[in-house]
Amino acid sequence: MSEAHITVRTSTGEYLIRLDVRYTESDEWVLIRGNTALIGITDYAQKKLRSIVNVELPAIGKYVKKGESVAVIESVKAVADVYSPLSGRILEVNNELLTHPEYINEDPYGKGWIIKLEISDVNEINDLLSHEKYIEKIRSSE
Amino acid sequence: MLRTPLEGIERAHGANLGLFAGWLTALDFGDPISECRATRSSATLFDVSHMGRLEVDGNKSFELLDKLITKDLSTLNPGEMSGPALILNENGGIKDDIMVYMVNDNKWLIVCNAVNRVKDINWLLEWRDRLGFTNGDVSVKDLTTDSVLIAVQGPKSLELLESIGIKDACKISLLNFMQNIRVGELSIYLISRSGWTGEEVRSYGFELWTDVLNGVKLYESLIKAGAKPAGLIARDILRIEMGYVLYGNDIDEAVSPIEARYWMALSRGKDECVGCDRVWSKYVGGVNRLRYGLKLKRGVKHILRRGYKILAGDEVVGEVTSGSYSPTIERSIGMAYIKVDHAYIGFNLDVDIRGNRYEVKITDFPFI
Repeated sequence: MSEAHITVRTSTGEYLIRLDVRYTESDEWVLIRGNTALIGITDYAQKKLRSIVNVELPAIGKYVKKGESVAVIESVKAVADVYSPLSGRILEVNNELLTHPEYINEDPYGKGWIIKLEISDVNEINDLLSHEKYIEKIRSSE
Repeated sequence: MLRTPLEGIERAHGANLGLFAGWLTALDFGDPISECRATRSSATLFDVSHMGRLEVDGNKSFELLDKLITKDLSTLNPGEMSGPALILNENGGIKDDIMVYMVNDNKWLIVCNAVNRVKDINWLLEWRDRLGFTNGDVSVKDLTTDSVLIAVQGPKSLELLESIGIKDACKISLLNFMQNIRVGELSIYLISRSGWTGEEVRSYGFELWTDVLNGVKLYESLIKAGAKPAGLIARDILRIEMGYVLYGNDIDEAVSPIEARYWMALSRGKDECVGCDRVWSKYVGGVNRLRYGLKLKRGVKHILRRGYKILAGDEVVGEVTSGSYSPTIERSIGMAYIKVDHAYIGFNLDVDIRGNRYEVKITDFPFI
């Protein structure tokens, strides 16, 4: 990973925070480049799920609303929905995850990315959390 | 919230901690699947300090325990354990599944589920009063928070204990224990040949009970000797592979041991204990549902989760109580209570996984 990260330590463990992305309350990260958004789940989220065994991905071209479930991640511990942080059209999905769901555990901010969206409402970006706010969120939920 | 005394050392070895039965404890050390594999092929350490540890002391101890526990304790000798045993409510439902250790005629130890510790203590005290015994006749002491319980599990467990100087470990046979062992600077209160990962058939593991200070030292020296730390997620997978029940998931006060097919926790013919008469009348009269194993087809990666419905046609004929992925057989496995008239062992029924149907094979235990 070449991007800048910091490690946050809480009562339950250590979690990597990527600095150049935005976050959601439901533990997704969003990397915004122009009018596209690359989306995955955070290191904190993957550590809560642990040993991911299955990922269900959406169809390319599908339009999704902010807050709508776009993918399902299944681990030995739990099933979790991935909620779209923004409204938009699905441009790409990470098909590698179908055969290598463990990529989300190994590299949640890199090869464990889940979907790429074409952003339809840039105003929604303002609702996303900064990394500072996300760290506060993790600390307060422990 | 209670915290395992091994929290510090487990963090230092990469533990992800989380809550289990009100305890902050190690859920995994990065990869529960490889922790399972290491347990099956080598030896791992599980911190099970959350489990309740009680001491029952006094000349009426046997009478009290005999009244409340399904196993025939009269056949035990000092240094022997009961194997899985049950405490029942008056309807024959399961209050807890426990292990009983006979120290001597007047002193017994109980290891119980963390979630039931307080309930069990209250039940023992309530029945002490109902039987007319006093605190002088029988006392119940909670030793849990002042001590550490470490399970060493897997085929290399004996080798591992010998390598840190516990030379007498080989003398402890399955469901037996030794007390007050000194090894160099280490002082261990109790070592038993037992566990919850497959001892019933494999007889591999040990459980070591110490005070807090010695527990930390012991954990460290076992790691130095090559044991891999493992967490409660791996432990859950291992017990499901064996078909062992988890209290609160697969058994509870509304479940009869007959329905759970928890045969090894009963002593046939013992019908004098609280709830036992109800169990044996059910045994004769029959039940409507039974616990069986489930296997998804190879390659189906979903996990069977508590509450998923088992279907025959459109009829719901059962419900999943536990499930996980088995790294040993590389299949998704689980357990469910299934209506007796649909318990087609070896046949496939369907399971509803979030609105989609998948074929699931009905099997017996263990899975491995």
